[in-house]
Amino acid sequence: MSLIELKDVSKLYGFGDATSVALDEVSLSIEKGECVAVMGPSGSGKSTLMNMIGLLDHPTHGDYLLAGKRVSRLSANRRARIRRDKIGFIFQSFNLLGRLTALENVALPLLYKGLPTSKRNSAARAMLERVGMHDRCYYYPRQLSGGQTQSVAIARALVNDPELIIADEPTGNLDTESSRLVMELLSEIHKAGNTVIFVTHNPELTRYATRVVYMQDGAVKYDEQTKLGEVGSYARNAMYKIPETTEEDDLAGVSVLMKVRPSETESPKKAPAKKPAKRTTRKKKRKAAA
Amino acid sequence: MTSIRRGYLRLAMQSLRASRTRSFMTMLGIVIGVMSVIIVVAIGEGVKQQIGNQAARYGKDVLVVRPDTSGDIGGSGLPGGTASLLTNTDAEALRQTPGIERVVPLSALKGSVTADNRVDNPLVIATTYDLDTVLNQKIAYGGFFTPADGEQVAVLGPDLAHQLFEDTAPLGEKLTFRGKQFVVAGVFKPFLASPLSLEANYNQAVFIPYIAAQNILGTTPQINQMFVKAKPGTDVQALSKTVSQKLTDAHGGAQDTSVLPPGAKGSVSDRVLQLLTLMTICMAAVALGVGGVGIMNMMLVSVTERIHEIGLRKAIGATNQQILRQFMTEAFVLCLIGAVVGVVLSLSTVGMLKLYTSLQPVIVWQVAVIAPLIAMITGVIFGTIPALKAARMDPIEALRHE
Repeated sequence: MSLIELKDVSKLYGFGDATSVALDEVSLSIEKGECVAVMGPSGSGKSTLMNMIGLLDHPTHGDYLLAGKRVSRLSANRRARIRRDKIGFIFQSFNLLGRLTALENVALPLLYKGLPTSKRNSAARAMLERVGMHDRCYYYPRQLSGGQTQSVAIARALVNDPELIIADEPTGNLDTESSRLVMELLSEIHKAGNTVIFVTHNPELTRYATRVVYMQDGAVKYDEQTKLGEVGSYARNAMYKIPETTEEDDLAGVSVLMKVRPSETESPKKAPAKKPAKRTTRKKKRKAAA
Repeated sequence: MTSIRRGYLRLAMQSLRASRTRSFMTMLGIVIGVMSVIIVVAIGEGVKQQIGNQAARYGKDVLVVRPDTSGDIGGSGLPGGTASLLTNTDAEALRQTPGIERVVPLSALKGSVTADNRVDNPLVIATTYDLDTVLNQKIAYGGFFTPADGEQVAVLGPDLAHQLFEDTAPLGEKLTFRGKQFVVAGVFKPFLASPLSLEANYNQAVFIPYIAAQNILGTTPQINQMFVKAKPGTDVQALSKTVSQKLTDAHGGAQDTSVLPPGAKGSVSDRVLQLLTLMTICMAAVALGVGGVGIMNMMLVSVTERIHEIGLRKAIGATNQQILRQFMTEAFVLCLIGAVVGVVLSLSTVGMLKLYTSLQPVIVWQVAVIAPLIAMITGVIFGTIPALKAARMDPIEALRHE
């Protein structure tokens, strides 16, 4: 039995002529213990898919089975309870509450579970220790660096001992060093037996995944198993196809991207996924070089 | 469950502390609401008690008989005037009634009084020698006149004594009223005066014997008010009916007098008090309503400001009810603090009023408890709308909101 089973899941927004399709009959099953990287350009439906899997949203059509239970038609409160007990969220913008200390932030999901204060605090402290932030329990988020903040957010996602961790671009707001720290943490969580799904624009990060899913136009375009430590073949293509930028290109600025486009149209099967990947990678590379 | 509630309380305190100014302003609405209710009721109650004290001017076994006429002599407070229907005959008839110990008539006379100074139209009251037996009022100097003093004696209210003689104890001095001289036999201690009382202000009165008035007028003066003192052991309520019946019979069946049993206040002052109470209630309702709307506004702003936070809380597993409860707790805490502060402030304000003004406010404990309770209920009811708004938010939309 798969942990996650999406059957022809669609999500539509708007009515009539204004209808837009965010997810177009996506079928996907994810086994327990997988670490799935989801890639794809902006607007390809990655976030909608994450929201769907994370039970923040419900499908317009289709079925979603979580751990064998049909959850696509549950009430908002039932979904909230499943989120609380089975799913941990990690966001690009960390989403810690600024008024609360690191410890209180981590303990928040337990509050909604109804645990007494002492249990909440000891569990939160243990979780902060696990992510190496035990000496920052009483810091407020504004006093922490980006990587530390995301570590606290990861502790919060883990504190309920969830079966599924969903991370929507967890490294999107972080520098390379912090990204590595955060991904190592996620990887540890995965190794401890959790199922992890994360969205990324950085093909390098597919090294941490056992499976890479490429989305485009609301549908899964490509789905491959990879080995830990290896960049997904599709991602590798995207990475290494980036043309070297010349001095001329640097002067031209954005137009260098235009130069790349024609080659994409030549191989329509694979190309669309490259665009965003390329951009991110190039930036990352430059940053790393600098 | 208690631990969760404590958690909510902590959350509420945190978010209230985060927006201190706004929380304070909102609380101010509740504080003022509670304060205005408690203080206005305290002042009203003070006035009421002062009037009540005036009623206690007379003994518990004393009935007050007044003619039911609309006329009022020059604002003197003694009803009747020219059209008074009580006569000496009535007084004599009542004196013969079993169960009645004595009847003391009061007649107001017109005219100015001259001594060292001249006072125009003071309250000149002709009464019998036994007035002091029905009046719960001590004489400060001298004594009340007795038959042994003769007819040309007078007893003064303290204010009038001062106006006439510029002396607090002008005993043995002479004053002139309608060409006759009276010797001052005594001065009353100050009567408790109350601004809203319809009783005559006896501080401004001069009392002279009934017989003297009879001599001046050449006839028995009309009676504006009678005190009827019951014999010991008589049922005063029953007696008041008897007296009323007697007077009605004597007046040929016309019910033109009213008999006030002890403790009963003048009907007009009752109406004033009712109006006062009504006014207080209206003010309280308005004040508390304003406070409630203040809470609602503050909570709405608070919800709008924290849409993202609400989204996050929902994402990590807060149910609608839990979000609802969080915001309700916030509203409740706000009201609770406001109510407590309001009670404390109003208690101290009442104390100040007592010290520095002539008002004698009396805290009504029921009101001091109910007003903050109602304030809290109002706040929570008004806090529901924003809290519901927060609870029903879509988590994705809310998370996207910055």
